[in-house]
Amino acid sequence: MNNPRESHRNGGFPHPSTGLDRLQIGHLRHFANLSRQAPNQWDLMKGKGYGQEDFGGYRFQLAYMAYALALAHRHRLPAAAGVFKPIFERLIGKMLLPEVWMYWRDVSRGGSIFNAHLSSGYVEQWDPVIRDNIMYSAYLQSMALMYHYLFDDDRYAQPGALTLRFWSYFWGGEEKRFVYDEKSLNAHLYWQMVESGYLGVACEPNCTFQICNQPAILGFRLHDLVYGGSIATDVVSGYEQAWKDFGRIGDNGHYNIMLAQDTKAVRPNIGKAVWVDAWCGALMNMWNRDFVHAHYAGQAKDFLKSGPDGAFSVIAGERPLVMGQTIVSDSCDFGWMAAWASEMGDDTTLRGLLKHADRHMSPSWSNGGLYYPRNDAATDADGNATMIEPMSGNVLVGYARLNVPDGLWRFYNEPWDASRFAEPALTHVSDDLDVSKAWFDVVANRLEFSLDGRGVTSDGAVVLGNLRSRGCWSLHRDGTEVARGDSDLPGETSGHVDLQPSKDGLLLRHLDPGPGAYVMAFEG
Amino acid sequence: MQVSTQSEPPAIRAAFHLTDHNGRDVDAGSFRGSFMLVFFGFTHCRVVCPRALTKLSATLDALGETAVRVAALYITVDPDRDTPQVMRDYLRAYPSILGLTGSREEIDDAKRNFRVFARRSSPSPDDGGYDVPHTAITYLLDPEGRLVAHFNDAIELSDLIQRLVSHLKHY
Repeated sequence: MNNPRESHRNGGFPHPSTGLDRLQIGHLRHFANLSRQAPNQWDLMKGKGYGQEDFGGYRFQLAYMAYALALAHRHRLPAAAGVFKPIFERLIGKMLLPEVWMYWRDVSRGGSIFNAHLSSGYVEQWDPVIRDNIMYSAYLQSMALMYHYLFDDDRYAQPGALTLRFWSYFWGGEEKRFVYDEKSLNAHLYWQMVESGYLGVACEPNCTFQICNQPAILGFRLHDLVYGGSIATDVVSGYEQAWKDFGRIGDNGHYNIMLAQDTKAVRPNIGKAVWVDAWCGALMNMWNRDFVHAHYAGQAKDFLKSGPDGAFSVIAGERPLVMGQTIVSDSCDFGWMAAWASEMGDDTTLRGLLKHADRHMSPSWSNGGLYYPRNDAATDADGNATMIEPMSGNVLVGYARLNVPDGLWRFYNEPWDASRFAEPALTHVSDDLDVSKAWFDVVANRLEFSLDGRGVTSDGAVVLGNLRSRGCWSLHRDGTEVARGDSDLPGETSGHVDLQPSKDGLLLRHLDPGPGAYVMAFEG
Repeated sequence: MQVSTQSEPPAIRAAFHLTDHNGRDVDAGSFRGSFMLVFFGFTHCRVVCPRALTKLSATLDALGETAVRVAALYITVDPDRDTPQVMRDYLRAYPSILGLTGSREEIDDAKRNFRVFARRSSPSPDDGGYDVPHTAITYLLDPEGRLVAHFNDAIELSDLIQRLVSHLKHY
């Protein structure tokens, strides 16, 4: 969408033959860099708020990196599972760390303005998925099922594969251990939905957010795609019916934020908070496209501020005092607006937002990764909006750049054919390589991929998998034939390429610090 | 404060202690050895329950003699109005289905065990009547009382029959 080289074949939908541009590669590299941080190292990820309670929490950053990876893999680099799979595994591993979910022990007790009157009925709850807290549980559920769907790997379906553990040397007594897997977690969320009358599961006690139930719906859909069934259809049908009484949209045309479970009072988006509409619209589009598109223009116009040369910033609303206190948290308005515009295929707005970010939000490169560092200042000396949170700067701007028009809708509604698992692909890619293109052209019977050692190559390893039934092939680099072979065995090479048989396929070493465009053409 | 150190998601438990529409005390053990088809609803329900009970009755008819292996239970979510007598009268139109009711506490226990939603709406200003929106799922429990399947309201009759036959055959 924002890649100027993109050819809009296939009805305006970017084709994977276009590959990724430098900035898109930079976002992927940044996701990978963050995922590789040591356990409990959260450099660049801490937001303004205390703990992990608000919308900038680690869980959201981890989950939306995973969603962005899924969109990029599905729509842009379909033959590069080896790039995405290990990042996914590390992100899910981090989701299980207590630092990510232990906020629930405190939040479960209630005491916010939304549930203080009910607090006497709440008990401290350590298990972060057993009740409420869909703002964590649905992300864990959807990430695990997304992994299974994308990579045909059932590791999170194994008993106890999603076990949440806490033990401290310093306090708290014996170990706390909460044992789940993708199936048991999915079933638990489903029955919570049923118990709610399909209105949805609460985040904080008593607060059922529209936004936060969308990831669970995505998870149900992925469960259906992996295991069969129609949970997503059932839930969406019930959800539509249940919300009819309350209305998804308020009188001012903006999405209602949440429903109080006890009073059934809807909380409208009176303050026209950007994140409410943008987050909800970006996700809900997956199953409710016509509705979301129909309201987009009218909603978005309240949020955008025009700048020079087609740039756009977002209008940050004033947050009211609550109990006389200033709310200190990450709203992530800018990032959600960009993500929403990308899903809506609103190229003008998306380009404008990215232009603004690149001018005023300090794009930074670290270890080949692109991000926009946290900045708490609302504006610079010239009045340009500069505030950006880690959730936006690490994740959502990248999500927007990597997404395609109706990208989540397509992900949800146009299932990827399982035959892809038998197609030639990059099944392993070492961390030091960037991959800017990877797709298998079924018609031409060839695998196209582009690698870049980005000046630091040491390993440069790529395994080309699923070659065994493909017969004879020739490998070309930058237009010149460099090797020939049969199945996953290399034959004649030109000396300019390092190819070795390996147990998982054909091992190619791209030790060149620069880029290389490869084509593996099959003769069968 | 006592803190749970381990947990698993609550499973559907076929546990209830209720009164059938003939006035007999029943619990899940009363039906042990039979498959159970369980549906929650209320006799004042205008659309969902008649549709579901009609479908269940047709399913049992389609099973023929095999239907003796299946106990079809209709548990009320409106115990204030649905006495055994009211349920017996209502279910005359669905003679293969047994109605169950009980005290509010007993019904709440059953709802919790089946993870059922039901909430009484505000009374009508005209006649004081009220609705009880409720979960429209049919639960299939095996002769040991374990949940083996559940069917959404939208399932087609033919599909329901086919799936039920399959479960009966493979048990």
